[in-house]
Amino acid sequence: MEPWQEIRNELQAALGSAKRLDEVEQIRVRFLGRKGKITLLAKETGFSRLTPEDRRHWGSQLNSLKRWAEESIEQALAEARAREAARAAEASRARLDVTLPGIERRVGSLHPISLVQMELEDIFQGMGFMVLTGYEVETEYYNFDALNIPPDHPARDMQDTFWLDNGMILRTHTSANQVRALEEFGAPLRAIFPGRCFRYEAMDASHENTFYQLEGLLVDRDISVANLIAVMKALLGEVFHREVKVRLRPGFFPFVEPGFELDQQCPFCDGVGCSVCKQSGWIELIPCGLVHPKVLEYGRVDPTQFTGFAFGMGLTRLAMLKFGIPDIRLFNSGDLRFCEQFPVVL
Amino acid sequence: MKVSLDWLSDFVDLDGLEPDRIADRLTMCTAEVESWHRIKRAVHGIVVGEIIEVEPVAQTGDTLLRKTQVDCGNRRFVTVCGAANCRVGLKSAFAPPGVHLADGQPVEVVELAGHRSEGILCSAKELGWSRWHEGIVELPDHLATGTPLAELIPEEDILLEIDNKSLTHRPDLWGHYAFARELAAIFRRPLRPLPLADLSQFDSLPPVDLVVEDLENCPCYGCLAITVRAGQPSPLVIQRRLHALGQRTFNLMVDLTNYVMGEIAQPMHAFDGDLVREIRVAPLGRHGQFVTLDGQTRELLPEDLLIWDGKKPVALAGVMGGLETEVRPETKRILLESANFKASRIRRTSVRLDLRTESAQRYEKSQPPVNVKIGVARLVQLLQEATSDFQVTSRFTVGGDLAERDRPLELAPGTLEKLAGTSIPLEEAVAILERLGFRAEVFADGRLQVGIPPFRSSKDISIPADIVEEVLRIYGYDNIPAKMPTFPLRPLRRNDQLRLEHRARRLLAAGHGFCEVQTYAWMDDRLLGQLGFEPKNCMVVRNPIAQHSRLLRTTLIPNLLGLVERNRANREEFRLFEIGKVYRLASGGACDERTSLGGISFSTAERRDIQQHFLSVKGALQDLGKLFGGEPLRFRKLVQGQAPWQLADRCLQILQGDRVLGEMGVLEGEIVEAVAPGGGQIVWFELCLDNFLGIIWPAPRYVMPPEFPGSRQDFSLLWNPAEGFAALEAELDQFQHPLILRREFLYVFTGRGLPEGKASYSFRYWIGLADRTITSEDIEGFRQAFLRFLGSRQIILR
Repeated sequence: MEPWQEIRNELQAALGSAKRLDEVEQIRVRFLGRKGKITLLAKETGFSRLTPEDRRHWGSQLNSLKRWAEESIEQALAEARAREAARAAEASRARLDVTLPGIERRVGSLHPISLVQMELEDIFQGMGFMVLTGYEVETEYYNFDALNIPPDHPARDMQDTFWLDNGMILRTHTSANQVRALEEFGAPLRAIFPGRCFRYEAMDASHENTFYQLEGLLVDRDISVANLIAVMKALLGEVFHREVKVRLRPGFFPFVEPGFELDQQCPFCDGVGCSVCKQSGWIELIPCGLVHPKVLEYGRVDPTQFTGFAFGMGLTRLAMLKFGIPDIRLFNSGDLRFCEQFPVVL
Repeated sequence: MKVSLDWLSDFVDLDGLEPDRIADRLTMCTAEVESWHRIKRAVHGIVVGEIIEVEPVAQTGDTLLRKTQVDCGNRRFVTVCGAANCRVGLKSAFAPPGVHLADGQPVEVVELAGHRSEGILCSAKELGWSRWHEGIVELPDHLATGTPLAELIPEEDILLEIDNKSLTHRPDLWGHYAFARELAAIFRRPLRPLPLADLSQFDSLPPVDLVVEDLENCPCYGCLAITVRAGQPSPLVIQRRLHALGQRTFNLMVDLTNYVMGEIAQPMHAFDGDLVREIRVAPLGRHGQFVTLDGQTRELLPEDLLIWDGKKPVALAGVMGGLETEVRPETKRILLESANFKASRIRRTSVRLDLRTESAQRYEKSQPPVNVKIGVARLVQLLQEATSDFQVTSRFTVGGDLAERDRPLELAPGTLEKLAGTSIPLEEAVAILERLGFRAEVFADGRLQVGIPPFRSSKDISIPADIVEEVLRIYGYDNIPAKMPTFPLRPLRRNDQLRLEHRARRLLAAGHGFCEVQTYAWMDDRLLGQLGFEPKNCMVVRNPIAQHSRLLRTTLIPNLLGLVERNRANREEFRLFEIGKVYRLASGGACDERTSLGGISFSTAERRDIQQHFLSVKGALQDLGKLFGGEPLRFRKLVQGQAPWQLADRCLQILQGDRVLGEMGVLEGEIVEAVAPGGGQIVWFELCLDNFLGIIWPAPRYVMPPEFPGSRQDFSLLWNPAEGFAALEAELDQFQHPLILRREFLYVFTGRGLPEGKASYSFRYWIGLADRTITSEDIEGFRQAFLRFLGSRQIILR
């Protein structure tokens, strides 16, 4: 057998059994390296001793062998590389499963009252209202007297108000801030007062002795019922992220005159009637009214020069509506199964 | 408050108005109608029957069954009746066999106590008048036997349920006539006047002997003596309407007083005129007892106002009459009371005695004195309509002031338009006011002169804004177009304190995994006992919801610790915080109220390292300190704690500069058992949040990074952990060298291979120069200096 034929067979057999890239690489070195079989064969062939005819024959055979060997090895290398890449890809797939759920940092939660309060503060600050907080332990004067609530009004009873040993009370409404704010800032004034309030009350799913309100007060020249309606509509539009329909009906509170109950068309059923609005199509949301002249006087603001409106929103009630919380007692329960459900809003 | 449309239609024509529309318009213009429902009475086939013979046949329990013959005009029936008031001569409603009662059941011929009973004599409940089922109804004598009930009483009525809360400021709306007036104004229909007897016809009669000693609490008292068969049944119209309101009917005089109250809200009382011949109105003046007509003995205080007959009290003024002088079936003479009492006096007595009668409820709303007279005039008018067999035997006698005149009030030009924010023609305002019973007149210069009628001036109408409200509510708030106010642009004063609180909330929740909770403003004595905590300078609630929640919190920690038990069943680990007020009694009796931030971190995880746990909370507080602005927070070991959770050596004081902000610590030993039976790690902290402004101005200044390359040099030092890191740090603070840019603590290593009682603390020094790159000689110089320093302090390099 011709030597090139022998080498050809040998190479073919070697490539046939080599699978990995490094094996093929070794074969390349074995045959085509500086000391490889084909390289050596060419060197060992004494061309000078051959006839011109044989020289051409050997030359052409050797060239052909070399070309063939290079191509075969190249192809084997490519195949081995492809196999290797496929293997690597598979190994990588086993290492990295992009379809697994993401790993979240353990993030805490904000109380739903905080969430609603922060949202409303943003809305009101956007409309130019200051945010003021007062005292939870309040004097009878600011909570009742200065709000034109008569001395023998039932609200002052021990049945309705928590009285303290030193003659002060736990404020029954954030309205207690009205006259404090008027005294401090005078008129014109735009302010809201979010905060905790307390009423002596038997508890059930819809009654709590501790709850949050947000009182608003706007005093300026020529403030009217028409202004009140417009501001309330704008506010509720922001809260419920939609154009809202509201209606005013008579309501009585000693510190406003005229006084209203502001109803909003139920945002959950658009007024058709549902369980939230007890099928009425309306939800009673904001007691409000024009500030009683006596309250302005208590705040040392001249009622012949200034008028204003005041309104009170139940933050707790709003949170119940917004998050669909069925039992008011959950708010102060400290039960994490409740508290954890409200994500942090930054 | 229930309102009957049947009753209202005496005074205003409601034809063509659906109940839904009436309810809606009243809600929008006057007072909230919660609901309405239809009353359906049994009338078909039921007739007036006279009892002509009664024969007791059997006793079953308390009930005596009587075989009763009933004359129904053209026919007689025999029925067995168990009603106590079944007696010969009584006219009642008889349902013969085959007719249907209000509950839909047909009347059948039955056997009772061995006697055939054909048809029944009906109670108010069986007739569908009300729920009252005690006895059969008693009809007036003059009704002809056999008259079909359908001719005497309408089958249907509509009842509106008004929310009492929306009536607190309207004394008048506690009677039907005021609702008729409202509907007349709303629907622009005429209001029929209330028929009244002329009381001046009795002026020639002798007065009642009347003395009002307490005009403060009884501004006006009126009375009238009448001779009448008080015990006879009242007219059917009165009975059905009182029943519709859910009231019982008794007899002519008592029913008439209740009817007048239902009509004009004026409570009235009928005394037995043989027992009460003179009237004195005065407080009791001492502690004592009084038996009210419900048979209950009431404990009275000296200030309780009473009606006296000479020496004996006969009624608890404005609340309830006395048992001894009540009107009985045989009463022939009546002394009628129509009085006005001060709202607060009546309320205090009725609330204290828990005797919330219809009368007391109305007096609490401040009824107008003029109704003292109108009530009597109305009652005499109704009495005339009911019977001709009566005689007034005294003149209408009044003590005090009836306050009958309108009160004038003037609105400056433009007031209405200014407060409404829209233009409303004055003629329309005048028309509305007149329909509501006000006098109103417009002057050429635009002034509006209003006369407030007495029935509205006792409480709710006193200032121009009240008049504006009257006009607008009838004009319709829906007819006022919304109009945004406009203001000059000016910067808004920010509430930096509140912003800080919100930032603290977000940081703890988003950055450190804390859940925000809210707890009550008071502490639980039982938990305080378990903790062994005796708070000082507490504000105390006089009327707590429970005896163990009297003390307002002076710290948030007890309430938060109380949440451990509540939540551990559901969580192996949790962190929670609260931002809320704490309260202390300050000197001078004032309240020192502060905003506090408290938190706890709890873990029962077995492999949780307490050191790491504690440091993670401390790290959260260090982070929090960055919100406060100014210097970073400092922590100082608290040797002697104030509260039981402040354990020696396990508690740090938190400071900024020299100002103490709060404490943090970890629980160990017995207190863990008190808070978390079953154990667990509990780390707590509490900080006062008041008076921080946060980083606002000036802002923290930018620091240039070093221009020339410097070097990092790490050292691990051996130190006794019992001495604490802070002591090591204090030592290192003594080392000064010009190359030091800053020193950084890397970690502490407490593993094997260290000398006994030592841990290895690794630090990194960042060194460099401002004007050139440091050289290896510089570095070597620094290292040598540091090693010399360590040697001088006997600190060993690891």
